[in-house]
Parts: sequence; structure tokens; C-alpha cells
Amino acid sequence: MGQETEKYVLETRNICKSFGALKANDNISLKVKRQSIHAILGENGAGKSTLMNILTNIHKPDSGEILIDGKVMKFKNPRDAAKAGIGMVYQEFMLAKDLTVLENIIIGYEEGSGPLIDKKKNREKCEELCQKYHLDLPLDEKLTELPVAVLQQIEIAKVLYRGAEIIIMDEPTSALTPQGIEGLFQALKELKAQGKTILLITHKLDEIFAVSDALTIMRDGKLIGTFDPYEIDQQQAANLMVGREVILEAQKLPCHPKDVVLKIEGLHVRDSEGIERVKGVDLTVRAGEIVGIAGVAGAGQQHFIEALFGLRGAEKGSVVEFKGENILGKHPGELRKHGIGYVPQDRIATGCNTKGSLWENAIMGYHRAKGFTPKWRLNRKQADTFTRQVLKAFDVKHQSIEEPIGSLSGGNIQKLIVGREFLQDCDLLIIEDPTRGIDVGAIEYIWAKIIEFASKGAAILLVSHELNEVMQLSDHIYVMYNGQLQDGGEHGELSEKEIGFIMTGGKRDEEKV
Amino acid sequence: MKRKFSFNTQVNIVRYAGSLLLTFLFGAMIISMQGESPLAAVRYIFEGSFGNKVNLGNVLHWFASCAMVGFAAAVAFKSGVMNLGLEGQLYMGAWISAILGYKLALPPVIHPLVCILAGMAAGLLWGLVPALMKLIFQVNEIITTLMMNFIAILLTDYLTVLFLDYEGITNVTVVKTPTIQKTAQLTVLIKGTSATTAILIAIVVGIVLHLLYHYTVKGYELKQVGENLRFAKMGGVNATQTFISIFLLTSMIAGMCGALEVLGVNHQFITSFSSNMGWDGVMIARVAVNNPLVVMAVSFFWAIFKAGSLYLERATELNRYVINLLQAMLVIFLSADYSMILNKYYAFVKRKKQRLEIKEGT
Repeated sequence: MGQETEKYVLETRNICKSFGALKANDNISLKVKRQSIHAILGENGAGKSTLMNILTNIHKPDSGEILIDGKVMKFKNPRDAAKAGIGMVYQEFMLAKDLTVLENIIIGYEEGSGPLIDKKKNREKCEELCQKYHLDLPLDEKLTELPVAVLQQIEIAKVLYRGAEIIIMDEPTSALTPQGIEGLFQALKELKAQGKTILLITHKLDEIFAVSDALTIMRDGKLIGTFDPYEIDQQQAANLMVGREVILEAQKLPCHPKDVVLKIEGLHVRDSEGIERVKGVDLTVRAGEIVGIAGVAGAGQQHFIEALFGLRGAEKGSVVEFKGENILGKHPGELRKHGIGYVPQDRIATGCNTKGSLWENAIMGYHRAKGFTPKWRLNRKQADTFTRQVLKAFDVKHQSIEEPIGSLSGGNIQKLIVGREFLQDCDLLIIEDPTRGIDVGAIEYIWAKIIEFASKGAAILLVSHELNEVMQLSDHIYVMYNGQLQDGGEHGELSEKEIGFIMTGGKRDEEKV
Repeated sequence: MKRKFSFNTQVNIVRYAGSLLLTFLFGAMIISMQGESPLAAVRYIFEGSFGNKVNLGNVLHWFASCAMVGFAAAVAFKSGVMNLGLEGQLYMGAWISAILGYKLALPPVIHPLVCILAGMAAGLLWGLVPALMKLIFQVNEIITTLMMNFIAILLTDYLTVLFLDYEGITNVTVVKTPTIQKTAQLTVLIKGTSATTAILIAIVVGIVLHLLYHYTVKGYELKQVGENLRFAKMGGVNATQTFISIFLLTSMIAGMCGALEVLGVNHQFITSFSSNMGWDGVMIARVAVNNPLVVMAVSFFWAIFKAGSLYLERATELNRYVINLLQAMLVIFLSADYSMILNKYYAFVKRKKQRLEIKEGT
């Protein structure tokens, strides 16, 4: 028995956790081998994050126990969990932008006496740590200028500094380029070699197969099983995750582009501090085609889209025409009336009003684009009819149209947001990250709808940080890098690797040479 | 455990019941500490509010004033605009209506109407300044509206003196404009009391606001802007236009409230007359979660406290600020995060139950 438990650095026994009627974790018994990379797979809402929050003691389990090195742990607060060696790297980084890298690493755990910080000692400790784990960090730089991959390394350094033996990473690849992902995996292997254990939480199958030593699949709050990566293949793992056959490839329909709907020439956009973020973009989108823009987050996509949809001003001399009519400088309300729809990137911050009911969320935009009769009156009958149409057409699981949208799952919220735009019959649809952080089932559904919508003659401009999504859906692919568009070829022309190369600043031709 | 109500309803029940209980508890303590009986205090408050016709009239009058400032605050807060300048807007409205009420010679009905409209316009103009400052210079409206209160209070003071040309000042301690014409005074509803048609106007305003929020597209937009501005912008709501219209609406109602005070009860502009009515509005809106109909209900209680506290002061050793203190306490208790508290409680009960089950099991 003794040796048996020694093998496992972390073990959970019959962990249960409910939120109201929802059983987020149902009898989870997980065993994690020492010095391994252990992936936890599952759709959104499968209970991965809940389990991790229980391990880090952010949530208290309803029942069950956690064992570290075979000993039952009694955590009172998250700090206890950290002391026991459990460190967490969150999907949304928990970093202070205005502090230096060094300060970010030591924060909360500074060396020193009383209120004083021993700067020298802190620095020595950090340098030692970076050297040991081969992390190349600019300790004195402020975070504002650093790329995402470096931020992630800082997060890793932070948990290591706090003495973590078990490092949990939540969707670590979501913000990275293919090259960045490789770098991350290299770093993880290094950590493993140094004796650390890593838990990867993800719903991206393809990436983790290469690095994991074990895969645990969760579905609907239950642990389905733990497998060795050679035991199963990707397709099987995906089936276990969703409990049915999943087609990870979109069913692309042939595209017959017609008239030019959107024409952009020499678009320049500056941010509020006067820095040029979009540096001369030329682009045309025709009716019936999907034009996709890939790119690393922060390459200028956000400013580009905001300028396009009237949420931000553009520089003089820029041309944006919709069906031959200048639309630059018009505000979103007018654009919606013209027949332009918009699915924003951040569904919680921009896409919906979490306090509002389903119908309040469903009619946003519609209330201006289509309007009510009479114009000033909020016709509840009409509003409800439209809401029900959206809910039905996009299969949004709900209880009543009066319930707050915040009570739906991420995937269902996204379906409602996309549905509300699709059902307004726009001629041009600007879509940002339509499937970010939602489960495979919902992704499939939304992808199919986008393709169907284009085949019916709408022009679609798709901007996504998910390279695979752009490649699967787009008839023509562009890559945004440093505020400019690079050509990424027709559908299927370039490989994922080639486009990834362009995303990080490479030129298409260089790659071929 | 049966759960009859949704979680949100439960939170609200706990919020209101808990806050009232805590306020009464602390109130009883404070009153006892001053050597008075809390029960007697309650009795005096009710006597002071409903004891006779005059008292009842006072309650109704305070109801109208509280509801009007409450509406003004609720309109602003509901849409996420922090108009803390109600007091100033109210002063401007009151002053202009007192002057026009005295200067103009108009037939009844039309005269008060003109005065009210002028009061609304004055409040509106006073609110326009911070609104424009926010839009053009991005100055936070909390600061500007707050500061403009002082300007308004002192400016109306100065204008009154200027208007009276120094000679009209007979009493140095209280500076006030001459009494307004009979034609400008609001009709008294209950003879011999201060209950005037202002009450009806307040109720109408409340109903109109309710209809605005529930049955018009504009009201829908105003609500969405308050709950998530980025969402509203994305959906095509013109944020600038909406911001201006909210600001104008809230300051207009505040100005109207000032006018009603003058035309209904005071019949003249008395400098520093309001005794922080604007701030009552902020509190009422907070308690009523910015819902116009609830504002009316809360205002009624507020009015009882207001009318009762004056009587309380006369009948006992207690100061009427005790009541202000209790009102402030209520607002603070209501502002606590009860959903968190309730969640913790449920988790605690659950764990206890499980521990008990384990004990019984072994």
C-alpha cells in the first residue's frame, strides 16, 4: 500500500461539488503520477475548472478528500493549498501590468524582514530559479510591452517561486501561436525533468496528445477515465469527451462569391494613446464568401474591427465602403440599419448583458436594425417572437425567456449572440472569435451555421485567434501581423505551420524557400 | 431543504429583512443610550405622522418631495450616471420658480405650470454643464456634479440678495424671496395642511417613468446602457446621446422637485432650505434599487420618518438626526453583498449536515 500511494503525488477521493441543482463534480477520484504531464480533457462545463478550483481550495468540496504524497490534506484557504505545493496558472493571466517581471514573480511572497523587502535576495532567488528551469525572462522590464508567451512564462515562474510541486495550467495554449505552443511544451518537459508534476486542463485535443503522459477525460461532472496516450487516438478521446461522434472538420460548402459587399482601402487606425495599430489594410469581402483573418492576439485585429464597426475612429484617408457607400464614421446603430451584423469577441464584457434576461439580450441590435412597430414602443409580443426564433433556430438550452442570460452556460450564451445576429438577415456579418472557450458541440453547431449563412449569400468577415477555425471556415485567409494583412492563401492552400509562420512575422515566400 | 423561492428572491428577502432588523436593533441601542425608550420613539414617530390631519398632510408633502428626488436619482443610477448634483439642480429649480411665482402675473393653473416648467429648465441647464464637461473634457461627473452643488447653493443665496437689492432684507439670519402670488401656489388637497397637488404630480411622474422603462424602446436602451455600456454600444445604442438624455432627465426632475417645494409649501425661496433633500434622493434610489414604483413605496416610509422625526424632537430629548442616522444605516446594511453571505450560510449548513451524517454512520 505504501509504495502504491508513493507513486502518486496527487490523489483525489470521491470529490463531490454541487452548485445549486448542478452537480459540477460527481465522485471524482483522480490519481496523478509523480513527474508526469497529466492532461485533463473535457468540454466546457464538464467540471474541469471546478475540480482545479477545489485542488487550489478556491471552492470547498461538498465531500471527498485530497491526498498529496499519500497524505490527506486539510486545506482551510487557498494559501494552504499553495503551501502544500499546488500552483495554478490561470487562462486569464493574473499579472500586474505596471510592475516589472521581477515584482510580478515575487508578489505576495517577498523575501525580507517585516515590512521591508530584501531586493537583492529576491533577485538572486529569481535568477537562480530562471536558470534552473531555463526560463529566459527580462526581470526588470515592465509587462506592458511583453508578448503573451512571455507573460505565461512569468506565470509559471511565479508558481515555481512559490514552491509549487504540482503546477496546474488552465487552457495554456489558447493565447499562443503554434510556435509559442511548442516553446511551452519544451518548457513543460524541462519542468518535468526537474521533478515537477504538471496538470493541463484543456479542451484542445490535438495539441496535448504530443506531450501528455496520461489523459483524464471528464464529462458532465463525472470522470470518464484515465488513459495512456497510446491507448486511444484523438477521435476516440473526442468521442469520450462529448459522448457522441464529433466531426472536428467543418463541412465546407462550395463558395460562389458575387458582388463586392465590403471594400476597405488604406485603413489606418490609432489607439487612444496615438499609437498606430492598423497600418494600411486593404481588403474586399464579396457576397457569399467567408474571409478569415488569423493572427496572434494584439496584432491589431481589435482596433481594425472596432474602426470597421464604428466603435472607434479611423485616420483620414481611410476608405471603408459597404455596397459602394462610405460607412466610415457612422455609428453602430446606423451600420446595423444598413444590414451589418457584429458578433463581438468577448461575449461576457461586450456580447451580452449578464444581468439582463434572455429576451433583453436577444433583441439588442435587432431593436435598431429591424425596429418595432410603432417605432418607439417596446412591443413585447414582437420581442418575444424574435427571441423564441433565435432560441429555437440555435438550439439554446433555456428554462424561460425571462431568466437572466448569466445563468446559461458559455456555449449557450454564444449561440444566442450569434443567433441574434444571424436572424436579422444581414448582408455583412463581422464575427470575432465565435467559438472561443465553448464546447465542441456548440463549436460544430456555430460553424455549420456560419457556412450555411454564407452559402445563402451573406458576406462574412471572420476574425479569430483560433487558427484552425479560420482555416476550416474561410474561403480566403489573411493573417494580421503588426497592423498589416498578409496573404494566407485560399482555403486549404497553406498548411497550419505555414500560416503560423506568417502569424509570427514570417513572409510567405521565405517559408517556401 | 425545500426551496420555494429562487435564489435571487431569497437574497432579496434576506437583504431587506436583515437590514431592517439590524437597523432597528442599532436604532434601539442608540435611542436607549440617550435615555429614551425605543418603543416610545416609534410611537412618537407614528403620532407625528398620522396623529392628526396636519401631520398626515406633512407626511404626504414629504412623500411628494422624497419621491421626486428619488426618481431623479433612480433615473441617473439606473443608467450608470452618477448624478450627485441633485441638491444643486433642486436649488436652481426652486429659485427660478420662486422668482417667476412672485414676478409674473398669470391666471391660476397656468402660473404654477409656467413656474414648474421654468424650474425644470433651470435644473436641466444646471445638469447640462457637468454633462458637457464629461463629453468634451472627460471630467468625471461625480466630481463636477458634487462641486456644482456648492456653487448652486451659494449662487442662489447671492442671487436672492441681489434680487432683493439689499433693502428687502429684513431678517439677517434668514434670507428669502418675497412670497409668490396666490395664483402660482399649488392647490391644497387637504384643507389646512401642506398636502398639495404636488403629490399627484409625483405619482404621475412615477407612473410615466415606469411606463418609460417597461414599454418603450428608449427605456429598454436606458436600462441596457446602465447594465452594460459596451453591450449597448455594440448593439447600436448611441451612447453619447443616451448619456445626455439621462443627464437632462435626472436634472430636470430634480429641478422640478425644487419648484414643487416652493410652489407647494414654502411659497418663497428660503436660502439653504433643502436640508440635504438631494441626498435623501440618493439614499431612496439606492434602497429602491432604482425602480420608480419602489421609489414611491420607499418614499412613503421616508416621509413618515421625516415628519415623525420633527415631532420626535419636540416630544423627547432625542435629536432628529438620530433618524437620519438610522436611514443612513439602513442604506449601508442594504448595500452589503447578501448573495455571498447566503451562499456561505448554505455551504455551512451542508457541511454540518454531512458531518452529522458521518457521525451517525459510524
